[in-house]
Amino acid sequence: MAGAGAIRVMVVDDHPMWRDGVARDLTEAGYEVVAAVGEGRAALAAAAAVRPDVVVLDLRLPDLSGAEVAARLGAVEPRPHVLVLSASAEQDDVLDAVKAGASGYLVKSARKEEFLDAVRRTAEGDAVFTPGLAGLVLGEYRRLAAQPAPAEGPRLTERETEVLRLVAKGLSYKQIAARLVLSHRTVQNHVQNTLGKLQLHNRVELVRYAIEQGLDAD
Amino acid sequence: MNVHFAWILELSVKSAVNNPGIEGPFLRAITVYRVASLAYAAVLLARHGGYAHPVAGWLVIGVMAVWTAAAAFAYPAAGVPRRPLLALDLLVALACLFATPYVEGPGQGGAGGLPVPATWVAGPVLAWAVHGGRRAGAVAAAAVAATDLWLRVRTPGAAVPGNGAVLLFLAGVVVGHVARLAREAEARMQRAVEMEAAQRERERIARDIHDSVLQVLALVQRRGRRLGGEAAELGRLAGEQEAALRELISSRPAPSGAADLRTLLMRYGSELITVSTPATPLVLPARVAEETAAAVGAALDNVRRHCGPGARAWVFAESGDATITVTVRDEGPGIPEGRLERALADGRLGVAQSIRGRVAGLGGAVVITSAPSAGTEVEITVPAPTGGAGGRERS
Repeated sequence: MAGAGAIRVMVVDDHPMWRDGVARDLTEAGYEVVAAVGEGRAALAAAAAVRPDVVVLDLRLPDLSGAEVAARLGAVEPRPHVLVLSASAEQDDVLDAVKAGASGYLVKSARKEEFLDAVRRTAEGDAVFTPGLAGLVLGEYRRLAAQPAPAEGPRLTERETEVLRLVAKGLSYKQIAARLVLSHRTVQNHVQNTLGKLQLHNRVELVRYAIEQGLDAD
Repeated sequence: MNVHFAWILELSVKSAVNNPGIEGPFLRAITVYRVASLAYAAVLLARHGGYAHPVAGWLVIGVMAVWTAAAAFAYPAAGVPRRPLLALDLLVALACLFATPYVEGPGQGGAGGLPVPATWVAGPVLAWAVHGGRRAGAVAAAAVAATDLWLRVRTPGAAVPGNGAVLLFLAGVVVGHVARLAREAEARMQRAVEMEAAQRERERIARDIHDSVLQVLALVQRRGRRLGGEAAELGRLAGEQEAALRELISSRPAPSGAADLRTLLMRYGSELITVSTPATPLVLPARVAEETAAAVGAALDNVRRHCGPGARAWVFAESGDATITVTVRDEGPGIPEGRLERALADGRLGVAQSIRGRVAGLGGAVVITSAPSAGTEVEITVPAPTGGAGGRERS
């Protein structure tokens, strides 16, 4: 079934049974599973070779943190989209991975259809915003705003906050569009922006940190 | 004597208290005390020209030196039985005291009122106190003081000062007390270290469970759902167990009197109920957190009752300015306008009482938004102590 146009997916999860199950679901649904690996370093090495469109990433890996893998996958050419598939209790890790560049998050208990749909949307470059991720992102913006120098941090517009809160309450983009009288695409853009600003801020912070460390080392 | 004794003692105790660990530092301190006292006794003997019998005097100093060295090695050694060693220690000191009348001769009073071993006789008193506590210290002090006094009383013309005896008692009792306190502190420290080790072990087990059992349960849930029928039921059960087990291993003890509302809300999470929270703790006083979670539980019960057992629901918790808001949303048929008010008027208090009542008691507010065929939103807002929005650093 996997033809030339099929979406290329790499599965990264350290549990072999789970990995195989996910790979089988994807293959049956017409995706091309180009690699299935159990470690972060192996994933980074494989990504450069097999050029996946989407990386389905578990956050608990034996060698590297999920956030680190997500960040380093961002440097792979062509850059794959990262969909975090993780357990519900690893909220800090999820937030770190998303800030490091992952574009979506789904809990492992999600239904198969939900999962396959998320992989498709991730491949298209959309942010897969589950209610859980919306809650984390809203919380992160609030945390940044409460910090001593909030002027530097990214801010949400009122509309973005409104949209994210509705996502967190479980409304679909379509329902949100209807309620706020917006187009589906506009809702999607708002959601994408909230993530983009957070990721940009994270990169700026990392660069600043690197410069500080570099200057200190002299 | 009193000044020197006190000074040497202070020096020794300081060196004990400043060191970590318990028995070892005290023993080292006693050795320091013995060496200093030995030197003091030797100086006294030399300054008085060896008293009446210099050879016997230096012999006593020699015995003291040998015993000081022997005790320094024997006390910290593991294989040496303690009680005989303590007894011997005391006997050696008493023997040196007994030599005093002979060495110092009739002019004993001229040596500053001190026996030949001088302050060195307090060594075994300290050792007894460290090993046996206040009572043992007092007993050893009594033995040494009684011998000293008895020898003085027997010697015509010798002064019989009571200060030395009082100081010996004080040293025995105080050092015994301090040693006991120190031992208790060490025991407490030991318990703390054990608790920390237990916590680490717990975290390791949590990781193991995460890597094995939880993965399998999640897989059973996933495969079961696909197979359908009885397997789907098994899968659902596995999913519930996975959620419960995950909750169990991820819960951390909250600071006393406070609770993280997220932990309580996560318990409601299931295949049908999605719980969304920030990554930062939502800290509330424990009672407020429990009542809020109970109100959310009541709202979820209501969803099940009115929208059927298969209805989905979303729980979203967020922190605001000095408040925490939890929204429970469903996509059921909604509540017809005025029904809540009618129910209240009819005395059927159901939702109104269990949710509004609980939250009002916490100084919070409930807003219920509903429209036919558009589902229902129950928004619960409770006051949070400032800083409850929380720094992530504190988690």
